Amino acid sequence: MTAPIALLDGPWWPYLALLLFAVIPTEMWRWLAVAFARRLDDGSPWLEWVRLVATALLAGVVAKLMLTPPGVLADVPLLVRLAAIAVPVAIVILTNRRVMLAVVAAEAVLIGGAWWLI
Amino acid sequence: MSSLGRWQRLRPALIGFRDALMLPAWVVGLGLVGVGSLARDVGYPVEVAVLSTILVWAGPSQVLFFASIAAGAAWSAIALAIGFASLRFLPMTIALLPLLRRPGQGVGIQILMSHYVAVTAWTEALRRLPALPPEQRPTYFLGFANALILVSALCTYAGYYLAGAVPVPVAAGLLALSPIFFMTSLTVGARGFGDGLAIFLGLALSPVASWAIGGGFDLLAGGLVGGTIAFAAQRWRRRARAGA
Repeated sequence: MTAPIALLDGPWWPYLALLLFAVIPTEMWRWLAVAFARRLDDGSPWLEWVRLVATALLAGVVAKLMLTPPGVLADVPLLVRLAAIAVPVAIVILTNRRVMLAVVAAEAVLIGGAWWLI
Repeated sequence: MSSLGRWQRLRPALIGFRDALMLPAWVVGLGLVGVGSLARDVGYPVEVAVLSTILVWAGPSQVLFFASIAAGAAWSAIALAIGFASLRFLPMTIALLPLLRRPGQGVGIQILMSHYVAVTAWTEALRRLPALPPEQRPTYFLGFANALILVSALCTYAGYYLAGAVPVPVAAGLLALSPIFFMTSLTVGARGFGDGLAIFLGLALSPVASWAIGGGFDLLAGGLVGGTIAFAAQRWRRRARAGA
């Protein structure tokens, strides 16, 4: 668990932390886009690189959450967790992008597997 | 303006609101149930979980925030990783704004509209807005996007309390909702070779980086390395094809 910054700690710390370390780093890009909308070329290679880094980063978040999971998710066997990631990928590819079906099937695998094995 | 005229002007907002409730709002909301569970897991109040949905309005950022705190990452690493994960909003917002811009529109309303840019709102808006008359688009978009946020905020709230009230396998299922949902939308959004490689490398490099670097900078490093390799491979492949 990350400890609060001592100088700023108090009952409002979680709100302050959310604002400083989540809201601002996310929102600033939307504001910058408004400011620069007319100056950036949409098809530039730089933006493509940004998109690919963001994609890899997001996939990394998925792997981290499934390999070193928080809370009770850690009680679920690794194989079941990995299956819950593989199943939606297969369904999206095989059924031409059916999001809801993929999410529900993956959840069924995870909860079903957990019920059976723990 | 007569009340009938005002009603006519607000009609697109109601249609947008209804369209969102038909399905998209529930898909996004489902993905944010897990954020409530994650927030509870690190002992943050429910208000922070719900505010994260309303103010951050980006599932990956919210999950990174709570999951990194759970993992004990440094605050600077958390902010950097979230900043990088959200960089995609820059090109996304730039791509969407021309559809929403009107003559004489203030910067304030553009900043307000840009706040709603997130994966689902963006893909749906790009698909739906071109079919509407330009003067109705901002109103429609705000109605649509606010329905997404409203449902998602309620789902985050529900996820926070559900986590402690359901049997262990279901609680595990709630915590797994976010990674499952991201994996699904990554696959849905993947266009071609470069995206596929970036997803694969992101998944594969995560445990390597976590072992070699750790401390919260591992996610950032894995993303930078994986994304850059995918970018280079895609360019190289395009050039090879163009040359062939």
